[in-house]
Amino acid sequence: MSDDASPKGAITSERPDEERAAELAAVREALEGLRRELQLRFGGGAAEPAGERSLPNAELFADLRRSLATLGMSERSGEVDEFGMDEVVVRRARPVLQFLYDRYWRVDLAGAEHLPEKGPCLLVANRSGLLPYDGLIITHTVEQLRSPAARPRFFVADWLMTLPFAQPYLARLGGVRACRENAERLLGDGHFVVVFPEGMKGAAKVFRDRYRLQRFGRGGVIRVALETGVPVVPIGIVGAEEAHPVLFKWTPPGRVLPFVPVTPTFPLLGPLGALPLPTKWMVRIGAPLELSELGPEAARDELLLSRLTEDLRAEIQALVDTGLREREGVWS
Amino acid sequence: MSSEATSHLTRRSTLSAPGVIAVTGLESFIGSQLVRRLVGRPAGLRVVGLDQRRPMRFPEGARFAKLDLTRPTADGALAEVLAAERVEAVVHAAFRTNPTPDLELDHELETIGSLHVMNACAAAKVKRLVVASSTELYGPWPDNPNFLTERHPLRGHPQAHSVRDRIEMESLLADWSARHPDVEVTVLRPCWIFGPTYWSRVTRYFSLPALAVPLGYDPLMQLVHEEDVVRAFELAALQSCPGIYNLVGSGVLPLSTLLRLADKQTWRLPGPLLHRLAYFPSQGQTGDPPEAFYDYLRYLWVADGRRGWDVFGEPVYSTREAWISFVSSRRMRRYR
Repeated sequence: MSDDASPKGAITSERPDEERAAELAAVREALEGLRRELQLRFGGGAAEPAGERSLPNAELFADLRRSLATLGMSERSGEVDEFGMDEVVVRRARPVLQFLYDRYWRVDLAGAEHLPEKGPCLLVANRSGLLPYDGLIITHTVEQLRSPAARPRFFVADWLMTLPFAQPYLARLGGVRACRENAERLLGDGHFVVVFPEGMKGAAKVFRDRYRLQRFGRGGVIRVALETGVPVVPIGIVGAEEAHPVLFKWTPPGRVLPFVPVTPTFPLLGPLGALPLPTKWMVRIGAPLELSELGPEAARDELLLSRLTEDLRAEIQALVDTGLREREGVWS
Repeated sequence: MSSEATSHLTRRSTLSAPGVIAVTGLESFIGSQLVRRLVGRPAGLRVVGLDQRRPMRFPEGARFAKLDLTRPTADGALAEVLAAERVEAVVHAAFRTNPTPDLELDHELETIGSLHVMNACAAAKVKRLVVASSTELYGPWPDNPNFLTERHPLRGHPQAHSVRDRIEMESLLADWSARHPDVEVTVLRPCWIFGPTYWSRVTRYFSLPALAVPLGYDPLMQLVHEEDVVRAFELAALQSCPGIYNLVGSGVLPLSTLLRLADKQTWRLPGPLLHRLAYFPSQGQTGDPPEAFYDYLRYLWVADGRRGWDVFGEPVYSTREAWISFVSSRRMRRYR
């Protein structure tokens, strides 16, 4: 424990080298003495000279071990909410998201007046790109329009939410595994919930199919909305498709990932190629769907469900098309 | 069977009708603590403790009866005792706190033994049966929702034999309960129990000064304090609350935060290495492969406790407080 108190703090740069070296040596000696003392007192009397036992790179090893032990979890607080969102991580991510929002993707927002004042509310958007940037951007948009307390939770597909290393990060940022139980609980607690009913089919589109919405799951969004009576707000996102233009998909053996996307920069440039391109993003919020007068019994009418789901899909497709028309170019 | 069996019993006339509770499994934490609490209650309540042998510290006020649930004739023997003592409620807590490598015996006790208890309750016209289960039965699965409700299917862990046995027990219990609608059946599913006195393979593992945990995973964990568990069992035995309830502490914490609160040295190892190197600390004496334990530190298996809180009251200890109570009782170095 005393090893942690690094002697660097005692050094100031103006002093001559000899004085500095002497001071450093004195501090080291004092620390070594303290360490030996502690070992004598608490180490069960097994006090042999420290130099013989410790490895030459013991400190480096200890550092390495410590950083391995906290890999991916060094920056977080002691408290998380029910779904694992960590306020400290969210606060730290906020400037990054602000930068992405203002400067990098220059998000153009329209239809903010359609967003309800407060939750519970389902925000339904088109999905694009393997990484959940669109979820984060919608989350950030709502947070800006309302308040940090109203920060929505965004749904993340199973394969990513259960991927080792990704899972702890996504949960701390407000990502939740996409499933009906989670939606019901979050809406019951009055949250905004961002869902992508296209799921994997939307994320795994190739560039050729960009901005063409895929089938909307099995009508789960409408079913949950009918049963809980929350408003459904359609959102169209433009720009995320070109941020990671997937030229074609390569399915590796082993199935760790569902497939490896091949983009103009990935895997050609390695990890650098995983950075999204600075495209121009448009976020279009549509008018909320009025479902409350149908009542929870309507959720059992399968034909109605599929018709409403299709309506919602068409609505979002229209928002995306509007966004595409209004955008001057991919980059501007 | 019962009328013939009870005819020779001598104490029959001296028994008062109301308020007789039988508890099986006096060696288990829940059984022993529950007997102690029930005996301490002021009302005229009588408690019958049932186990293989009389525990060293068995409260004066309670009656002891010998019962070996692994014997094929246990149901008849138990029915005799229940009828003789005019037991109205049975709390069945005779389950392994720690699974043993003797898979056959564990199965005999946990599944077949429970079947004996059910049949004896039916024969002795017991009005209420409270069974101790666990949220471990939901199993750690990557596709679990964040909060498992009582309606969620019990998928367990394919390699944890005790979990497997108890899932079978619960399905037998559901069938039995459907056939005996006049018996109130309460199933309580506590999550991992922590506290100053509770001792299990899980608390033993978390008492180690240095821990190996899976690399790349950091699931949300949920704990419950031993006092909250015993209190809920006491209420379930005394009042009418048929159904299945999760017994969990409020709040969740990531595993890494728990380990940090206890100031543990943590080694994050990739799965295959972890399972080979850290076999003993996790599963040394349970007869299961290490996955059967480490998957519980890998995937989510947090249960929704709101139904239980409505009936048994809010838990006194949150997950964090249960953990801190455990950590400080084990005199670990530091906590915040």
